[in-house]
Amino acid sequence: MRKEPTMSSKILKAALFCLVSLNAVAGDVFTQNQLESIYDRVTPAMGLLKYSSEVTNASNGETSKRDRTALALVVSADGLVMTHGHMKLEGSDPFNITVTLGQGDGEKEYDAVLLKKPDDVNVVFLRLQSDKPLNLPFVTFSPGTSLGLGEPVSLFGLLGETLDYNQGLQVAYVGSVLKKPRMTYCLDGSVRFGFVNGPVVDTSGRLVGVVGFDLSTAEGGDLYVRSGHPLVYQTELFAKYIKNPPSETAIDMGEDHAWLGVFTQPLTDDFAAYWSLKPTGGLIVSTVVPGSPAATMGLRQGDIITQFDGTPVVAKQDRDVMGFTKLVREAGAGKETSMRILRDGAPLELTVKLGVRPRSSQDADEYEDETFGLTVRELTRDVRIRLNLSEDVNGVIVRSVKSGSTAQLGRMQPGVIIMGLGDTPVRNLEEFKSAIALLREAKPAEVAVFARLGSETGFFRLEPVWE
Amino acid sequence: MFAALHQRLRSSRGVGLTTLILLGGYLSGCATAGVGAQNAVIHAKNVVAPALVHIRPVKEVYAQGKRREVLVVGSGFIISADGYVVTNEHVAGESKYVRCVLSSKEEVDAEVIGVDPYTDLAVLKLNVGYDLPFVRFGDSNKLEAGQTVIAMGSPHGLSRSVSKGIVSVTERHLPDQAGNAPFTNWVQTDAAINPGNSGGPLVNLRGNVIGVNSMVLRGAENVGFAIPSNLVREVVDALIADGRVRRSWAGLDLQEMLARTDDVDAQGVIVAGVDPLSPANEAGILPGDILLALNGTPTNARFEEDLPHVRRLIAALPVGEPATFRIHRGDAEQEITLKTEEQGGLKGEQSEYVAWGFTASELTADLIRRARLDSSKGVLVSGVQVGGIANNAGLTQGDIILAVDNIDVVNLAQFKELYDERLESGQPRVLLSVRNRALTRYVLILQEEDHAEGTDDEQ
Repeated sequence: MRKEPTMSSKILKAALFCLVSLNAVAGDVFTQNQLESIYDRVTPAMGLLKYSSEVTNASNGETSKRDRTALALVVSADGLVMTHGHMKLEGSDPFNITVTLGQGDGEKEYDAVLLKKPDDVNVVFLRLQSDKPLNLPFVTFSPGTSLGLGEPVSLFGLLGETLDYNQGLQVAYVGSVLKKPRMTYCLDGSVRFGFVNGPVVDTSGRLVGVVGFDLSTAEGGDLYVRSGHPLVYQTELFAKYIKNPPSETAIDMGEDHAWLGVFTQPLTDDFAAYWSLKPTGGLIVSTVVPGSPAATMGLRQGDIITQFDGTPVVAKQDRDVMGFTKLVREAGAGKETSMRILRDGAPLELTVKLGVRPRSSQDADEYEDETFGLTVRELTRDVRIRLNLSEDVNGVIVRSVKSGSTAQLGRMQPGVIIMGLGDTPVRNLEEFKSAIALLREAKPAEVAVFARLGSETGFFRLEPVWE
Repeated sequence: MFAALHQRLRSSRGVGLTTLILLGGYLSGCATAGVGAQNAVIHAKNVVAPALVHIRPVKEVYAQGKRREVLVVGSGFIISADGYVVTNEHVAGESKYVRCVLSSKEEVDAEVIGVDPYTDLAVLKLNVGYDLPFVRFGDSNKLEAGQTVIAMGSPHGLSRSVSKGIVSVTERHLPDQAGNAPFTNWVQTDAAINPGNSGGPLVNLRGNVIGVNSMVLRGAENVGFAIPSNLVREVVDALIADGRVRRSWAGLDLQEMLARTDDVDAQGVIVAGVDPLSPANEAGILPGDILLALNGTPTNARFEEDLPHVRRLIAALPVGEPATFRIHRGDAEQEITLKTEEQGGLKGEQSEYVAWGFTASELTADLIRRARLDSSKGVLVSGVQVGGIANNAGLTQGDIILAVDNIDVVNLAQFKELYDERLESGQPRVLLSVRNRALTRYVLILQEEDHAEGTDDEQ
């Protein structure tokens, strides 16, 4: 009889203890209800991105086409979509881009246009195409949020094809915090591909950013250097692009970036020791681009840059190279500026007139010819470097070949560099257009195209059908 | 050459050319002539079978920055009583030693007399001190599509395999990059050819060898390729006489006339490309020229199948002697005289650098052209061992090492000397100047980081 009250008081105490502990951690974990409500709020803005990409292998010019999928995140009601920068890799040009939004009967597929890729964070933006004004569900990010080590966050994304790209969530923890150059949060565990660029939501229900993999330049990264760890791209890194989306026509006439024309490596302590230099950092000039301002000023391979435009260059690690690139880019095209270098160990002061950064392939002019069924593009500096084309190789590069066209029947393929049409040499896009115009008048039964593919040159015989 | 690029056999669709050596040497299921098979087939088999040789070479293979020794299995056949054996280069090339099993059940080590990667042929010599049974060659120019042939091989030591089929195509041109066989028009057969049959004979019903089985088209049914016997005889004679095939090289890439015009009267062959460091380039021959004749002999190639013939005409020029190339350019014809050079190896020699954890190969003419180098100086990094010193320093496969501590690299032998000196001296840091495609950069090897785990073998 006497035992009973004791027992019940023990149970009561235990129950109370449980309640107390639950209350103590309620701010730091997700409850099921909470996850469901965030899921309901976030997932309507998530869609399935589908696109094809053609990748040209730089060493042999071979091109392969792949169909790919990724998570698309609607960030404005009028149809601005953000996705992982993986979509626009160097040397690839995505096409047949669509975004499917909604589930079940409400499902709708939109065509989408890829906007110019930001050069400081590895995300890209797409604009959905629609005849009518769009009013889509979208996500809103909270700026200025911080996370703590060990803090849980919820991630939202898509499952794989076999699971019908069903939407899902997972909870991850902040596994590591980098404090420099800015706070960067790494997530523990692994993140599936369909969760990359998915929203990251904290326990207060705020969208702190999206899942990324490569450090942004603000975090000391380079667009294409993989960190190997899932990271949180915080709102600040991409919010400006949501506010002012990148230009649609890829061609950015607004600002001319300054250009020096060098490839560099950091002067690590080991390199400094090899050359008996003080380990104060700097950049070793590894390649001087022919015809660049650097070549004109007489910069040589092996020179070590220690100061640029009055700013000391103290690079010691790979990630420091980006800082120099930014320094040059923002110095002002056409500006005359000074540089300090070490040549064979001796200091030297040089003056350089910075040039205008040459257009890259994503800004290149294109021309579509319907007779042959070809789209060609001017040869830009970056393509020349990527394909290792010497200065005497001139022409236009085939970007796409229409299925069933004269060009396809003649076995032409993307990546081919056209250097002559019939007897007319083709050195650039203008000459290609005028050579085509000449052919349209002459209407020859066959046209021999002189071209280069990889390291080989040769002919393609086309038999056009003239109207 | 260029046309080959767009006729590539896509391996992604499960189709591709594959050679027939057996790595590790094991194969199940062996074809045997069934009871009641045609007497003619049995007769031909009986003529050839005693001369069949089962070949087990131990090859040097360079992969992932290491040199390895790998046992492979292939076939071959004896062509003379004193023991010359014909097989594929991809069977016996780069071999340290070649163990053969004869039909007499005897196991003998053979000597490698010579190899020719350009035609995928090799000649071995068995020294047994008595007369061996041998086979005779037939005339491959007399082959007809539809003619019955048998493919023979010895993939399992003593057992011999025979399969029957017909000649499907007498002169099949294959994109040369698939087999690097610029001088060959293949005999295509539907006789089943299986792994381990590489180097075995394709035989007519008289029991004469009319081809050497070398490749099959993977993903296709019964599409096998043999090197025609007339080409085999030519190459084998040169290998026995000289240990190698001396060929002239002008540095021309040729393309069939059909790539430019459908005109049946068009003469000559297209010069599609000219190697930068070549006699043809120095003599001023240009891509787009039409080569009409060589020392007065017409060089007509309307179809791809005609190209090997023209390439053989050039190869047959005496090395270093002036030769006259009749060229059509624009509206005019002209004669250009040049001295050919001896054609270099198809495969560069390789060596391994154990302490730094990588392998390098010498630069071949093809590599120089592809890397667009302006000289033949340097060595190519053919593989890098993960976690090794070279790997940690950032050296990657495909880099071309141009200088070591600012000393220009001239060739593989001199690079090996530079490397040995630095290994010996133990200097903490070694500076490599490397090039990869259009970009040059520095790689700093940190020797103190890790002491050599092994010593370098004699190369």
